[in-house]
Amino acid sequence: MVKNKIISYTAVFSVFLLILTVAAFSTDYIETVDDSAFEKKTRPPAAFFHDAHNETAGIDDCSVCHHLYEDGQKTDDMSVGMECSECHMSAPEDSAADLIRAYHLQCGGCHMEQKAGPIMCGECHRKN
Amino acid sequence: MTHEIYAFLRGPMVWISLTVFLGGSVYRLASMWRLAKKKDAVIFHYISVFYSLRSLLHWVSPFGSLNMRKNPAMTVIAFIFHVCLIATPVFLSAHVILVKESWDISWWWMPDHMADLLTVIVIGCCLFFAGRRIKRPDVRYLTSVSDYLILAAIAAPFITGLWAYHQWPAFSAMMLLHMASAEILLMMIPFTRLNHMLFFPFTRGYMGSEFGAVKNAKDW
Amino acid sequence: MTKHSVTDVIGIPDEGIDKGAEKLTPEKITRVIRKLLDEEGGARLKVYMETCVHCGLCSEACHFYLSNDNDPKFAPAGKVKQTLEHIIKKKGKVSVAFMKRACEVAFTECNLCRRCSMYCPFGIDIAYLMLFVRRICHRLGMVPQYIQDTAHSHSATMNQMWVKEDEWIDTLQWQEDEARDEIPDLRIPLEKPGADVFYSVIGPEPKFRAQLIYQAAVIMHAAGVDWTMPATPGWDNSDMCMYTGDQEMVARLKKVHFEAAMRLKTKRIVMGECGHAFRSVYDVGNRLLGWKMPPLRLMHALEFYYELFRDKKLTVKQKYEVPVTLHDPCNVVRGGGLHEMARHVIGETCTEFIELHPNREHNYCCSAGGGVINCGPPYAKKRVIGNRVKAEQLAAAKAKGAKTIIAPCHNCHGGLEDIVKYYELDMEIKFLGDIIYECIDKGQPED
Repeated sequence: MVKNKIISYTAVFSVFLLILTVAAFSTDYIETVDDSAFEKKTRPPAAFFHDAHNETAGIDDCSVCHHLYEDGQKTDDMSVGMECSECHMSAPEDSAADLIRAYHLQCGGCHMEQKAGPIMCGECHRKN
Repeated sequence: MTHEIYAFLRGPMVWISLTVFLGGSVYRLASMWRLAKKKDAVIFHYISVFYSLRSLLHWVSPFGSLNMRKNPAMTVIAFIFHVCLIATPVFLSAHVILVKESWDISWWWMPDHMADLLTVIVIGCCLFFAGRRIKRPDVRYLTSVSDYLILAAIAAPFITGLWAYHQWPAFSAMMLLHMASAEILLMMIPFTRLNHMLFFPFTRGYMGSEFGAVKNAKDW
Repeated sequence: MTKHSVTDVIGIPDEGIDKGAEKLTPEKITRVIRKLLDEEGGARLKVYMETCVHCGLCSEACHFYLSNDNDPKFAPAGKVKQTLEHIIKKKGKVSVAFMKRACEVAFTECNLCRRCSMYCPFGIDIAYLMLFVRRICHRLGMVPQYIQDTAHSHSATMNQMWVKEDEWIDTLQWQEDEARDEIPDLRIPLEKPGADVFYSVIGPEPKFRAQLIYQAAVIMHAAGVDWTMPATPGWDNSDMCMYTGDQEMVARLKKVHFEAAMRLKTKRIVMGECGHAFRSVYDVGNRLLGWKMPPLRLMHALEFYYELFRDKKLTVKQKYEVPVTLHDPCNVVRGGGLHEMARHVIGETCTEFIELHPNREHNYCCSAGGGVINCGPPYAKKRVIGNRVKAEQLAAAKAKGAKTIIAPCHNCHGGLEDIVKYYELDMEIKFLGDIIYECIDKGQPED
């Protein structure tokens, strides 16, 4: 009985772990860009369907967005899993404006360059 | 196409409109100064900083002059209008962020719901002024088409901005209109009656100097 | 109070305007206006014309507007619209008929009282703009007949009323004689070099109101003032040319006046109770002659009286007991800030003083100033019905008991007399000098 119990627990736990692992590497659930550093939100979070976006934009290389700089030099490492604010709002004098600026230049800058994708406030910060 | 128009309005057009506005203002002031030196040199002998400021101070304080006290509604509306007209674009979060993006400088911005309210106030004031132009016989008599056009030019960036912010239908197009109309408005300032923004301190200051220093009287 | 329609008062026939207009062609008008705009239309004109936002906040400053049932044509900016605004827009290409109307607006519908400058948020000097229109009219040879006659007199005789030199001296001697009946040792010192006070009056005083010179002499005598009057041209401080747009003549007139005082080496000029003359000598003529401020100490009668009472040079024997009110004349109050001094003198000489409302700088114009009364009888009705608010203002003071109106200005005096008569207000109008003359210890010998 006890053995059976252990097996079933293990099985349940394994399944759970599996789901968790898969989930951890899946990005399909990302529908907005959000950052915990934004304590109070002036505008609704920017709509961003991660996988659909990358598929449309043809982006395979994660480091295009998830870049990592060291001493002003772009490294081969990536910042996947980090929040942008960990770097872009890390200096003591940085404010929310600096973080907003990083996001806007990152997204909007590319859209302007590519002449594709949303560029005006309401196009990302949708009010539904 | 939208990207090109947006890029133009946000890039070169900003510089064009700022140049026309600032350059035009400097040009208007400088050429008026030169003309004054040539034909009204007497002004420079009578203008007094103290009496200019004395008069200006009365006329920029709400109810600081008798005429303001006699027209309380107009006074309140005119003051609120001018404050909102300047404060809204300067302290709007979206505008501060745009400046931050371009030049990495920023300043305090007001909450969006407040900007929303101020925008509605500006539009409301424009409607009031238009109504006043239609309703009051003396003002109607003075009014020409250009006076309505100026009012419309002021209201336009606020209406389109409000529209774009609230993401009402076709708001992207409205946003482009918003940028274009605001840039046009800026360029209009030195060359239309909106130039009272430039000349008000001088006309009022000169009258204040004449009344104060020569005529020993108040002018408010 | 009777009601009049505006059509009663617009398009009044006037020889000066009508005959002048007959000689004009649109081409000549354009040529003259363009030349004038080019030579004299400077930064002030440009800024004023381009900055006005047509808000209409000046309307309620104008007695013509208020009295003509808020007719927009009489609003200050409305007058600019009917004149300069159109002239500048058309670059001088305006018709003869247009100029006739412009002339009528500038000469007979604006007293140049400057009240509107205190109501315009931008401080636009609308009186200056109206004077520019008058200047155009002057250059076009189109000026109302009566006032042009006084301007002619100025240029021919250096006084306003065609008074000949011997008549002037004769009048002074006559008044001296009269006064010596009352005060045997009284003198009207003519041509006394080095006197403290050079006393000048306006042309109409020797012509119609010689008793004012008599009274002034009595006040001077009682106060022990060392004074004199000139026996030459320059005795007249008045100036209708300032109002016809004839600036060249203004400069000549003021030069003669200042030079008479300087020739006699007097220490200061004291002027009789006249507003426009004060404007001309204190504020306009000096500028045209290149003096920022008058070249020698200048005092309007109000300030002079104030000084006499402050320094206790005069003693009041019997205060004036009839309740009085004071009409603040534009040119000495908005143009000279003498209102508190006037009140001080009234306090010294009268028992009961009732304020008009509005008062001081905000007082309504008498509607006679700015040369309007000098445009003569054709416009008398127009200026009287164009100042119903003045009648209402006076009636309110009367209701509080005021019986005498003190008007320390000749034009105001004339204007108020017409208003009091037309609106049947039954009030008496006096100069401050009249009151002082009645009240003071004149130093008569005991019987």
